[in-house]
Amino acid sequence: MQINQVMVSARPGDAITTSALELRALLRRVGRSEIFSRYVHERLHHDVWELKDSDWLASESPEDDMIVFHASIGEPAVETFLAGRPERLVVYYHNISPPELFYEYDPNLAGLLESGRRELARLADRAIMAVAVSEYNAAELTAMGYRNVRVAPLITDPYRLSALDPPPDIQARLAALEGPVIVFVGQLLPHKRPDFLLESFHVLTTYLQRPATLVLVGNHRLPRLSQALEDLTRELNLDRVILTGAVSDAELAAWYGRADVFVTASEHEGFCVPPLEAMASGVPVVARRFAALPETIGDAGILLEPGSGPVQMAEAIARVLTDERLRADMIERGHRRVRAYDAAAAGSALLRHLVEAAA
Amino acid sequence: MAEAEDVESLLEELRRTVEARREEGFYPAGLEDDLSAHFRRIVMHRTAPDLSRLDASMRRLRAVPGLSPERIPSDSGVPGGPALHRGLARLLGRQTQGILEQVEELAAALRAVADELSWAVRQASTHVHTDLIAQIDTLQDRLSALERQPAGDAGPMALAELSRRLERLESAEEARRFQPSYSAEEFEAAFRGSEYDLKSRYRDLASQLAGCSPVLDIGCGRGEFMELLSEEGVTASGIELDAQLAEAGRQRGLDISQGNGLQNLASRADQSLGGLVLIQVVEHLTAPELLNLVSLAADKVRPGGRAVIETVNPQSLYVFARAFYLDPTHDRPVHPAYLTFLFRQAGFTGIEIDWRSPPPAEEVLQPVGDPGADANYERLNQLLFGPQDYALIATR
Repeated sequence: MQINQVMVSARPGDAITTSALELRALLRRVGRSEIFSRYVHERLHHDVWELKDSDWLASESPEDDMIVFHASIGEPAVETFLAGRPERLVVYYHNISPPELFYEYDPNLAGLLESGRRELARLADRAIMAVAVSEYNAAELTAMGYRNVRVAPLITDPYRLSALDPPPDIQARLAALEGPVIVFVGQLLPHKRPDFLLESFHVLTTYLQRPATLVLVGNHRLPRLSQALEDLTRELNLDRVILTGAVSDAELAAWYGRADVFVTASEHEGFCVPPLEAMASGVPVVARRFAALPETIGDAGILLEPGSGPVQMAEAIARVLTDERLRADMIERGHRRVRAYDAAAAGSALLRHLVEAAA
Repeated sequence: MAEAEDVESLLEELRRTVEARREEGFYPAGLEDDLSAHFRRIVMHRTAPDLSRLDASMRRLRAVPGLSPERIPSDSGVPGGPALHRGLARLLGRQTQGILEQVEELAAALRAVADELSWAVRQASTHVHTDLIAQIDTLQDRLSALERQPAGDAGPMALAELSRRLERLESAEEARRFQPSYSAEEFEAAFRGSEYDLKSRYRDLASQLAGCSPVLDIGCGRGEFMELLSEEGVTASGIELDAQLAEAGRQRGLDISQGNGLQNLASRADQSLGGLVLIQVVEHLTAPELLNLVSLAADKVRPGGRAVIETVNPQSLYVFARAFYLDPTHDRPVHPAYLTFLFRQAGFTGIEIDWRSPPPAEEVLQPVGDPGADANYERLNQLLFGPQDYALIATR
């Protein structure tokens, strides 16, 4: 029996790709396991098969084999592929961003997200099991008609960055920054509300604390959104906002190392790895009580109520930056939280579920 | 904060802080709404148009399921047909799959095109509109700023002040204008002498314009000089400021129009005149009007044509004692040297001064027989009793 994984897009640094690679490492301990993706980033060509090479799935008795499908975005070719395969199917759900917020920036991407949810619903009957990385995702799957839904935390190692040496030029640049540094990590997508962060930062530096620097670390996927954020930054005269774009792991580690507080205003996350990475780096976390964020952050960070606005977030950030006792406590809680999150345990939980499905 | 309640109490504390600061005005009212609206304006840059039908079509397009061999029907009315179909489908499964993948690829590309088009339409149908609205907003702001400007600054108030001053100037000018209670005809009859006198006085001057048709006579009065020209076989038209004099001339069959002579001259075609006559007119003109007259004369009189200007002679003191101030509309006498200079500058040649109307012989100082005294009398006569008028005759 072999367990292979299928995904839409394999990209280095991407949370889903990372978890697929981690899972493959676990699966290879017990047998043969490959990853097939519709789109494969050139840097992963040695590691991940393209879907059209799926002849590799050739097996004596494919009915006994299993495919773990990472559901993330719409891709008709993948749906068609899965529909034509005899293997048993397990859906691994990382969550699909809500398309509504994407239409005004990129209707094409919004369409893919929407068809992704539709494809996912159509696979409900075909799947013998669905694995969700959070209770939040599990609830969504159940609502879509999935019956055998299990929860296993995302397989990720929050400490993976701590071993990396920051690039010297980045380090020099970070050392030159005066005052507190507020860091967000994540792709610039509308549901992550980077606009909310800019507004909070405006309130913070105008009314509460100056000077400070806000850094948004992450890939720019939507040019229209990026342009709007740059316009807002300029029009609010926020001269100490840095948009880094995509960064290497080493640079990411450098930003965590310099951060005085980690913030996210995201309103939709299936899991959200960056808060764990921040905690592993000893950085207090301020977020909002949305989707899977309470599950991931627990009591280790400040989770603002969904109804609270940028002013409330600015006050929370100011408090974390100035209240030494609070800071120390949050950092301590963060470390405890990350330690409690055991990558090995997450992996074995997932494996256990898969074995059950295979039985 | 060792327990979960501490997190709650911290949040509660933050809420109370924000609440209190809002109330005391530390945070301006509507701060968050303004910030949010600001970003929405940047993103939307427009009012939302009704593109719901387009959106509905796009949703239908996205709802089309992926292609699958399973959805290809295999039923058949022929006995054994379904089994045959399914068998064929299995045999051709790989090919079918290949075709479906190609179609799927095409469909995905088309979906992308439709999405981009939908976006482009949305942009085109809204952006121009918003730009206009924004421009109107800007203009309205500037307008209201202008309206708020205090009096004295450049703006509507200053305009009103200018308008008032203009009205004052106009009424002052109205009062300054000379409007006699008598008619020009009555004045002429009282002081200028009979038609016969005038004609005999100017017959020689008219002969200077022989062969100079057509002649324009500016300030022609009743047209006596035009009749002299006619006797010389010269066609003439006249322009006269005084309506009654002009009418009197027209009744004698002369081509006389009422109006401003300089304006009339300016309206003529260049080189359209053979001659130009002004008798007892230039002393009524201001200095700039005289310059304008000479310049126009140079334009309108054709080469070979002539200008005849007759006026009072300021070199004779007798003129000022007797004639000049008799007419209150005389502005200033024109010196013959100056007039000569002007015509020469304008390009006229062959300029002659014809001294005219010597004072009556009985008014001139008479010699007493003493050569020394008589020489002095002669010099005094030249100064006091010089010719009353002169005519400048110039060829273009």
